[in-house]
Amino acid sequence: MTRVIEVPTHFDDRSFDTFAAGFGEWPPAEKVLVDARATQWASPYGLIGILTAGQALAEAKREKPLLTVPTSDEVKRYWARAGFFAQAAELFELHGKVPRSATTGPSDVLLDVTPVRASEDVHGVVHKISEGASRILHGELGLEMKATLRFSMALSEACQNIVEHAGTSGWVAVQAYTFRRRLGRRVVVIAVSDAGVGFRRSLESAHAKRFGERWGDGAALEAALIQNVSRFRDPGRGQGLAFIKRFLDQWEGKISIRSGTARLSIVPPWDEDVPMSDHLPNFPGAQVQIIIPAQEAKSR
Amino acid sequence: MIQTIRIGLLLREAVAAPYRNLVTRPTGAAVRTRIEATLADSNCLTALLDFSDIELVDLSCADEVVAKLLLTVRTAYFVVLQGLREDHHEAIDHVLTHHRLAVAAVPPGSCAPRLLGWVPADAREAFACVSERGPLDVSGLSRGLGWTVSRSRDALGALTVHRLVRPIGELYFPLQTT
Repeated sequence: MTRVIEVPTHFDDRSFDTFAAGFGEWPPAEKVLVDARATQWASPYGLIGILTAGQALAEAKREKPLLTVPTSDEVKRYWARAGFFAQAAELFELHGKVPRSATTGPSDVLLDVTPVRASEDVHGVVHKISEGASRILHGELGLEMKATLRFSMALSEACQNIVEHAGTSGWVAVQAYTFRRRLGRRVVVIAVSDAGVGFRRSLESAHAKRFGERWGDGAALEAALIQNVSRFRDPGRGQGLAFIKRFLDQWEGKISIRSGTARLSIVPPWDEDVPMSDHLPNFPGAQVQIIIPAQEAKSR
Repeated sequence: MIQTIRIGLLLREAVAAPYRNLVTRPTGAAVRTRIEATLADSNCLTALLDFSDIELVDLSCADEVVAKLLLTVRTAYFVVLQGLREDHHEAIDHVLTHHRLAVAAVPPGSCAPRLLGWVPADAREAFACVSERGPLDVSGLSRGLGWTVSRSRDALGALTVHRLVRPIGELYFPLQTT
């Protein structure tokens, strides 16, 4: 028997739960087919979410899942340019014609879908992003020059969370695009995802007792993002997310972290998201999304 | 005597690649280990850490390199930073404040150091006064800032604990930066 999981037509953080629900209990017992034929658009969060599912199935030693690629040539080309198929080919049996190579030329893809397996990869990510980040953040989004370095720091800290906490590898991708419906402005989006142990298990031994019966995915996210705790006893830990929040507050940015069955967001005034969503469909590991919007003329 | 340590050089040794970004905890720990090894072989009392080849310092490295170094060498060396850009200040100031530590940093093209991190407000004012006027004793600081003797003594005591002045006899000297 094969379990078919449809990738939403418009696949981003908002439709992610529909995708996650398709898997049922983790890991699903049946062979999995991820069907992206009807997909018209996917955010970096969505793309690396598909890869995370593939990795979680591989780590659970399930049969290699199938992935039917989007029917739309335009969508396929975009996914290829984002480096998605190169990574997906290792985790999925791809069905459908995949563009041979990434299109060259100017691109809103600041960072291809990039695996993060060790701290050396974080060096590579930060090195790669520096030039393009300045062009987009300062040139297009109207952020001050020093924002580029803050952005790189945020990216570095987010990627290090995979290396230090997930217990497995993950992916990162960075893109610029226009948030037409929600904001009507250009944004840069950092998406980071892994198929690891998740926040609850990572923090459980050090912090569960303090929360008592409240302990769960939501409480673990609250501990990490709001209280800045870490699983390490080292008092220098837990500052990365605190610093990212400070930047985002200045830029009216948004961070949301989904882990297990919960998602916690620091919601800026332009967004209508809820701060905490609990009892969501379970999904492996942790998924982080950071959105930095173009600055409005008055704040430039 | 000052031992100048070029952080960019240590970074290239640590990651065996031409990166100029001081990022990730393992990299920071490797750089700190090299700094400690250099200081162990040196007779100098002041370590001048030169960040001028560094593009980016993330929080993890600010914590591993600067905060942990200050915690480790607190009783043995005076540590001064140089070649920092404004965005480097931000990361280092953040982690040091978190640990309630402080370090002196010399801005490019200047000899007057500024403080990064946390010290009591009086100690910060006393640091600026000693840096500007040169060696002072407690009564000299009292006269200079119009403070009581005990307030001046407390401020200089705090700077001494943080290794931000060099007490020699009754006088408190500014840190050597050249």
